[in-house]
Amino acid sequence: MNVIPPEPVPSLSEEDLLVQRLRDRDESAMTLFYDRYSAALYGVIMRIVKKEEEAEDVLQESMVKIWNSFGSYDAGKGRLFTWVMNVCRNLAIDKIRSRQYRVGSRTQPLEDSAAVREPASPTFRPEHIGLQEMTKQLNPDQQQVVDMLYFGGYTQSEVAEELNLPLGTVKTRARAAIKVLSKLIR
Amino acid sequence: MDTQQYIESGILEEYALGILSDAERSEVERLAAIHPEIRHELDVIVMGLDAYAEAHSITPPADMRERVLTGWQQAIRQQDSEKDTNPVVPFTAEPTPTPQPVAVTLPPVSAPAPEPVVRPISSAPEPVQAQAPARGFGWLMAASVALLLSLGGNYVLYNRWQHTQSELFAVQNEQARFAATQQASQKLMTTQRQELAVLRDEQFRHVTLAGTPAAPTAKARVLYNPATRAVYVDVRSLPAPPAGKQYQLWALDKGKPVDAGVLAATTAAGEGLQQMKDIASAQAFAMTVENVGGSPTPTLSTMTVVGNI
Repeated sequence: MNVIPPEPVPSLSEEDLLVQRLRDRDESAMTLFYDRYSAALYGVIMRIVKKEEEAEDVLQESMVKIWNSFGSYDAGKGRLFTWVMNVCRNLAIDKIRSRQYRVGSRTQPLEDSAAVREPASPTFRPEHIGLQEMTKQLNPDQQQVVDMLYFGGYTQSEVAEELNLPLGTVKTRARAAIKVLSKLIR
Repeated sequence: MDTQQYIESGILEEYALGILSDAERSEVERLAAIHPEIRHELDVIVMGLDAYAEAHSITPPADMRERVLTGWQQAIRQQDSEKDTNPVVPFTAEPTPTPQPVAVTLPPVSAPAPEPVVRPISSAPEPVQAQAPARGFGWLMAASVALLLSLGGNYVLYNRWQHTQSELFAVQNEQARFAATQQASQKLMTTQRQELAVLRDEQFRHVTLAGTPAAPTAKARVLYNPATRAVYVDVRSLPAPPAGKQYQLWALDKGKPVDAGVLAATTAAGEGLQQMKDIASAQAFAMTVENVGGSPTPTLSTMTVVGNI
């Protein structure tokens, strides 16, 4: 598995240009889009679904959704990266939920999700220095909470229930974790 | 308002994680639009999470690029053709309401957007679950349609190929026929040029062979060049030989008949000159009717034409 440092997020002007081309329904812009974002999106999707075939499906479905729904993207409210990452994250989480649904365990919908409980599968070992640095700054409790929220699709209440913690503690940890991450890039 | 307190409340982090309700989300966006310090704080938080997400980057396998881009393109083409037949399905960038039965909530970076592209993760898993098999079916349908289109395309291309191939054969036949005709013309022209040369050549003696009492209307001519020994025959009129028979030319040298070769049917019919065997010396020429292939000695009773040099 190739793990490379992430591409620097495109500068505003590059991103603006891409957004403009996508607005203009320029199909060739999706090739550029893939080249720019696929590593970041695929990494997060893999982090959630764990399986390469499913990750590929989710990435493709995400691109269809991004293309179809591009009219609802508002550049004034956030970066393209954030928006497309959220599209992918949602579809990936849908995927693992439908997987659980298919095996028929509706009474235990989320608890068994290996994607959520474990930091990563044995095949997933991002050696990326950025991730190591980031996780070094987070204490394990904080990371667990932020991962469950961000990659697992849990609500804070579900996290509290799952970890048998007061809701307030979960909120505090989540907030603290994100503050740490934000400080790293400040 | 106390923006610092608002920032400290933790709601911005929840916004970035996508775990707020629609109302809370709208409120955050409204306040961020009004207060630059909230906007700034929100941007920093979002970028922090983005960086965390990006830190998980994995370069996809190289061969995935082609598959995903092709699959994407087929999917949107499929939608386009569906849209053409069913205008109810929206596929434009226009914020038209969509009939998609997904949990109706809002994208995190979008105001009351019509399409639930990005919704809080926490929102009702049931519709997602209920929808999942349908989506699988949708993909199956898309794949089936793509396969059918592909088969149809192949059929059309195969037919075109077949058609092209038969056209090619026809053209090749035409070309071969033309080449043969051209070759024949060339040969005929060469022959006639040679004949003309013979007829113009003053070294050739023109020997008129007149019909015998057996064939009074028969008439032929021999062109003989004693220097080169070349002999040509030129038939004006000869009775058609009986079946299995052929005209044979004889040179008479000092009363002795010398075989000068048999006449081709075309020559006997008067179509042109025919070069015969070389003759060293002759005083007269005659033709008899012999068995096909000729005889070593002439059958004198069948002599048709004769003439002295």
